Amino acid sequence: MVAGIKEFTARVERNGVDEPVLDAVNGEELMHVQPGVSIVLGNQPSEFPGTLYISTKQVIWLSDTDKAKGYAVDFLSISLHAVSRDPEAYTSPCLYTQIETEDDEDESDGSDSECNGDLDLSKVTEIRLVPSDPNQLDSLFEVFCECAELNPEPIQEGEEEHNWIFSADQLEDEAVGDDSEWPVLQNPSNSIGQSNGDHDLARTVLELQINDQRFEDAEEMEHETNNGRH
Amino acid sequence: MLFFSYFKELVGREVTVELKNDLAIRGTLHSVDQYLNIKLENTRVVDQDKYPHMMSVRNCFIRGSVVRYVQLPPDGVDVELLHDATRREARGG
Repeated sequence: MVAGIKEFTARVERNGVDEPVLDAVNGEELMHVQPGVSIVLGNQPSEFPGTLYISTKQVIWLSDTDKAKGYAVDFLSISLHAVSRDPEAYTSPCLYTQIETEDDEDESDGSDSECNGDLDLSKVTEIRLVPSDPNQLDSLFEVFCECAELNPEPIQEGEEEHNWIFSADQLEDEAVGDDSEWPVLQNPSNSIGQSNGDHDLARTVLELQINDQRFEDAEEMEHETNNGRH
Repeated sequence: MLFFSYFKELVGREVTVELKNDLAIRGTLHSVDQYLNIKLENTRVVDQDKYPHMMSVRNCFIRGSVVRYVQLPPDGVDVELLHDATRREARGG
């Protein structure tokens, strides 16, 4: 998935009307269609007329007049969305969205995304969707909420369990395996490496301490003339 | 699910959500879900330098994954409770 908004031109005609081609094989479905919507990318002039297609995975806008013009942004890239009715923010009531782009370093605002007249879609950080009927805004907002909830961050392999160790007492808890009170304050004399029960787990901790040179005191490292490591 | 439960307790309170793109938005916590997506009401942008066009939108939905911090009302934070709860969660309880 590419972050940010991109061009979208895959259309298919059904019953005389253009529809975007979705990834039906992977379960992508249309959730909502809103005709009469103009799209505003960053600080660009609005583009109209067009139709908004909201699928379970992305937001697609297709121009009604130019069959080669369309845009899509994945819900994973939509950082926030809101109904904007403030005329000082934008002349017409619209759905305002912020887009997460590939590289947010040194981004100022949407207007910098244009260079020599060619819009760089990958740098667009704000998109407005302006329906010709402002009464549709609240339901549009709700559809965006529903679809955003359908697209949580994908879980990466290995991220599920951290297996962090906070103290040797935790090792005892894992060996005991019940809901006993966290014994932090009860055994202050326990030092790391001392096991209260499970010797195997504690041995690993002990060995880590004793054998690993990284745990040597800093002063000792400085006096070792042949040691170039830090 | 710890913070999901925790934030549910704060619904109705004023919070400031700071996003990873440095935008800070203040508003009333309307709801939160298991992914820590946040809906705010009566929102206003705290520092308008970067996103001057956002101004005062009424409600907004913020994707959980773009949140850096949620600033809480001081009396909405029970440190001891959080401490115990996080310890239990770290132990897998």
